[in-house]
Amino acid sequence: MNNDIHQFENISINSRGKKSNTFEAIVIGSGISGGWSAKELAEKGVKTLLLERGRNVEHIKDYPTTNMMPWEFEHREKMPLEITKENPIVSKCYNFKESSAHFFVKDNEHPYVQEKPFDWIRGYQVGGKSLLWARQTQRWSKYDFDGPARDGFAVEWPVSYDDIAPWYSYVERFAGISGNKDGLDILPDGEFLPPHELNCVEKYFSDQVARLYNGTRHIIIGRCAHITEAQPIHLEQGRAKCQHRVICERGCPFGGYFTSVSSTIPWALKTGNLTLKTDSVVHSIIYDEKKGKATGVRVIDAHTREMTDYYAKVIFVNASAINTNLILLNSISSRFPNGLGNDNGLLGKYVAFHNYRAGISGQYEGFLDKTTDGKRPNSGYIPRFRNVKKQETDFLRGYAAGFGAGRNVGNDRSGWGEDLKKGLGTMRYGNWHVGSHMMGETIPKESNYVALDKVLKDPFGIPQLRIHVEYDDNDEKMVKDYLEQMTEMFEKAGFTNIRTRDDHRYPGLDIHEMGGVRMGKDPKTSLLNKWNQMHAVPNVFVTDGACMTSTATQNPSLTYMAFSARSADYAVKEMKKGNLR
Amino acid sequence: MHRRELLKTLTGIFGMAVTLPSWANGWTSTGLSGPDLLSKEQKRLLSDLVDTILPKTDTPGASDLGVQHFVELMVQDCFEKPVQEQLGAGLVRLDKEAQNRFGRGFSTLQSGQKLDLVKSLAGKKDSEESAFLNSVRNLTIQGYTSSEYFMTNVTKYELIPARYHGCVDIGS
Repeated sequence: MNNDIHQFENISINSRGKKSNTFEAIVIGSGISGGWSAKELAEKGVKTLLLERGRNVEHIKDYPTTNMMPWEFEHREKMPLEITKENPIVSKCYNFKESSAHFFVKDNEHPYVQEKPFDWIRGYQVGGKSLLWARQTQRWSKYDFDGPARDGFAVEWPVSYDDIAPWYSYVERFAGISGNKDGLDILPDGEFLPPHELNCVEKYFSDQVARLYNGTRHIIIGRCAHITEAQPIHLEQGRAKCQHRVICERGCPFGGYFTSVSSTIPWALKTGNLTLKTDSVVHSIIYDEKKGKATGVRVIDAHTREMTDYYAKVIFVNASAINTNLILLNSISSRFPNGLGNDNGLLGKYVAFHNYRAGISGQYEGFLDKTTDGKRPNSGYIPRFRNVKKQETDFLRGYAAGFGAGRNVGNDRSGWGEDLKKGLGTMRYGNWHVGSHMMGETIPKESNYVALDKVLKDPFGIPQLRIHVEYDDNDEKMVKDYLEQMTEMFEKAGFTNIRTRDDHRYPGLDIHEMGGVRMGKDPKTSLLNKWNQMHAVPNVFVTDGACMTSTATQNPSLTYMAFSARSADYAVKEMKKGNLR
Repeated sequence: MHRRELLKTLTGIFGMAVTLPSWANGWTSTGLSGPDLLSKEQKRLLSDLVDTILPKTDTPGASDLGVQHFVELMVQDCFEKPVQEQLGAGLVRLDKEAQNRFGRGFSTLQSGQKLDLVKSLAGKKDSEESAFLNSVRNLTIQGYTSSEYFMTNVTKYELIPARYHGCVDIGS
């Protein structure tokens, strides 16, 4: 079917009727998970339409700042005041700066209601936030998947680590993941390219902590989506070894780190089975009551505001966690008056995130004859050591942490005139600096939710979301424990000038929002089954952050990628069996 | 691939992105016309001030690197209105102070006189003059140390390091 549609052709709106707007599958969203859904479906021969609400971004061509030198940014990366005042939300993001601002959504482009303060950071373009992510790719362990069942929160995951492990391997090999085989059951090894190096002080801290805590706490090099040694599969994608430029958020002309734009989407286009349609804001998913299934997707043209329906047998929702909730909540029919598949009223509820509030810094006065050379797009990582195998504290779950050290190099900035100039021109080594930040698991709760506003609309006429997500007592205890434990570890390792912080940032700024359309075993208490398939609408799959039953502590993107590939594989098998028509 | 070859390849393939497409410029309102916060006279004073802070020696002075434009642009685009007003007003006051002490405008002073004047005013604790001069000083340092000259010759910025070694001897 659909032989009349060519992958590069623009589909003219409303002019060719239903047949030309019909595909076998539709994927909503081209970010890190949607790219995978599209690639897997197209590669398996499924005629797929990939919808993206933002503009197109083509690899290399659309990275306008990628080769600019620091002095070419007229405000040296600082955003003008007018912009930060008009955009108080996105301006809080660490990555929002002159070289990367064009990959972020302006606050007024897509307004929402903050019932509780929530910084919703978004990237509306082909590739989504995969252009901007921090590229950390730690696997979950069985202790993470088993969490809700063991500790009695949320609902039991319908999948185990063993179900997902082969799919982790599958996506790791294609994406290119660098890491060290650390042999930790609490953070399983993957299909690793050669690891980055821990530096002298990081290695020292790792050794000290292992000794002081009898091998129960680990400092390892992060696993990250950087090609440290290009394999044939990477070269075939047109991607090369990472060059350690560490300006990834501009887009990488080498394809050194994984994005949808450099990897999955061009790969899917090459199959001839993918149609990419940009500037297409999804309004809702169409449900046909007679057929008892979803039949398509209603799209608003971002420029003309014209509405068009597209049809398919299978729909993958990868719009990013909160937007996936929004689309499903806005997909109203008399069968589903409260949102698609929402028979139990739980759609939009049990939203959770990662707690990034606390951090610690210090100095180390050793290794004064040593320094580092070059740059590293990665840092040290401390896997969760609290409550991993049994409950040990008065709070549930725990936190992972980033850890990094570097040698201070500075100049003397005192004085005026020639004295100052001489001081500036003389670079001197200072002590090593050390730092860490927490990544805390938050407990999904019914009271942390997103819901449609009954009155307010966005510029496309789609209801605005009301977001109600906040910290709880468990999070406060965890912040306190992180600061206590890290201070103790820093002190025991001989670090000095130790400073702790709790910046009380709002939820959302972690950009790890998850849940609202959670997976589970029971249709009464969850929205998706073990294949990320809606219990009540089996031809709709959700494989982005919205599907998450709990959050664990790991940066989540790798897990979304694995879910997407696994779920697409299942969907295609079901289509072949005639179960999804 | 050797680094030099790589650089050559990169320059060949990608060139240098000097003009941004319209959507990339969508965030900024100032274009390339340069700052217009100060009058011609004030611009002149600022240029003399940044050269007093970082003078030309056997290496370029601040104004040789266009640091005065950077300072004006930053104040114009990245600071609140009162700070913007203070820049022009502070420069005028500096000129007046030169008139009071030396009977001549700031720009016509000898470089030693300029430096003495600036240092003495900057040293007055909690004064408006001190606040003004120290903020210009900070921006001058930022502009100077983030200039192409400084980052190429002193801090030796590498766009493509292509390596990370975690523990090397200093000096090796």
